[in-house]
Amino acid sequence: MKIDEKNITKKNSITVEFFYNSIKERFKVKLLSDQVGFEREIKDQNLHRPGLPLAGFLELFSYSRVQVFGNTEMRYLRNLNKSERIKSLETIFKYDIPCLVITNNNKPTPEMTELANAHKIPVFGSVYSSTKLIYLVSDFLDDQLSPRLSMHGSFVDVYGVGMLFVGKSGIGKSEVALDLVERGHRLVADDVVIFTKKGEGILMGSGTDLVKHFMELRGIGIIDVRSMFGVRAIRYQKRLEVIIELEIWNENSEYTRTGLDSQTISVMDVEIPYVKLPIIPGKNITVISEVMALNYLLKHYGYDAAMVLQDRITMKIQQKSKEINRSIDYFEHDFE
Amino acid sequence: MIEQKIKIVNNAGLHTRPAATIVKLASKYKCEFFLNKDGLHINGKSIIGVMTLAAEKGSEIVLSFDGDDEELAAKEIIDYFNRGFDEM
Repeated sequence: MKIDEKNITKKNSITVEFFYNSIKERFKVKLLSDQVGFEREIKDQNLHRPGLPLAGFLELFSYSRVQVFGNTEMRYLRNLNKSERIKSLETIFKYDIPCLVITNNNKPTPEMTELANAHKIPVFGSVYSSTKLIYLVSDFLDDQLSPRLSMHGSFVDVYGVGMLFVGKSGIGKSEVALDLVERGHRLVADDVVIFTKKGEGILMGSGTDLVKHFMELRGIGIIDVRSMFGVRAIRYQKRLEVIIELEIWNENSEYTRTGLDSQTISVMDVEIPYVKLPIIPGKNITVISEVMALNYLLKHYGYDAAMVLQDRITMKIQQKSKEINRSIDYFEHDFE
Repeated sequence: MIEQKIKIVNNAGLHTRPAATIVKLASKYKCEFFLNKDGLHINGKSIIGVMTLAAEKGSEIVLSFDGDDEELAAKEIIDYFNRGFDEM
């Protein structure tokens, strides 16, 4: 299986308009200036508190970031007299600032709103503290500006493990997903799955807003898993933890036998455990997937069956007695 | 591997009926068929995927065909796009 780099997309910036519309309800943010400068672009996920630039030190001023005015900045401005305040604000408004956010329910001084309107820099206000707002907004911006990858497959939460089934069209990915849903697992998306890199080493996957939990089954057509199986059968997002490639049994292909030599695949520079699963008559892919999920969990909690058996064998080899014993010393009087 | 950029020309765009026809056409062939639009990478043999694009009139899609019978597949499918899904 190959991940095609050209299917990875990345937004270089978002407009202030999109930023405001996305966060206004989620983070209780209000517009305090006129509706100006909404076409300005935010390119950086980090935020900046412009204490030093307000005081006149402009070296290394990260003006391209969202500027956060907290209690300190606002108190500093209020302590200045009117002309100093205008001068201080004008120095930083000369830069190409995307927008300002005033936190802790602080109100902008009249000159501040006037100057911001004149320079077409939007000013927002939030009831949250600076720390909380910076945390929330930078998480939001990180998500928006992260690389995204769209993949063809079925993505299911099996016992809390995010499993992506990939393989050629018609091999039965949707059927496996449906079978898993029937057994009480939760569908994240079928067919088109979009993965977003979240922080370092985490890929979050979800469906598209249009299709959500719809699914196509050959011979039946389109079904809606949510209406059919209820809310317990779905979830909106899940971390990707295992990729399973289904393929028709191929004599020349090598399949894992012991599980000691686990394979991984690099998806947007994140190493994800990868298993190639042959489809042969009598093989129940659903049950195997459940077992894989449980084995993944066991390994995660520190128990690796293959390793344990390997250690036992090594011990046995080192022991003098080479006799293979039964797993029980002697059969007690239980003849059932 | 054949890659071609095409434009949706009919008024209604790429709606359910053409999506179903495209999938039907693509499924006749052995080669892999993908549609790429706005960062979405869609398997052209899956109806949900093709409908996900919700491609409107004038939008551009990059079609890619890869496999033994790619030329035949490309010819028939690109032709179907260019005919405006027989809606013109």
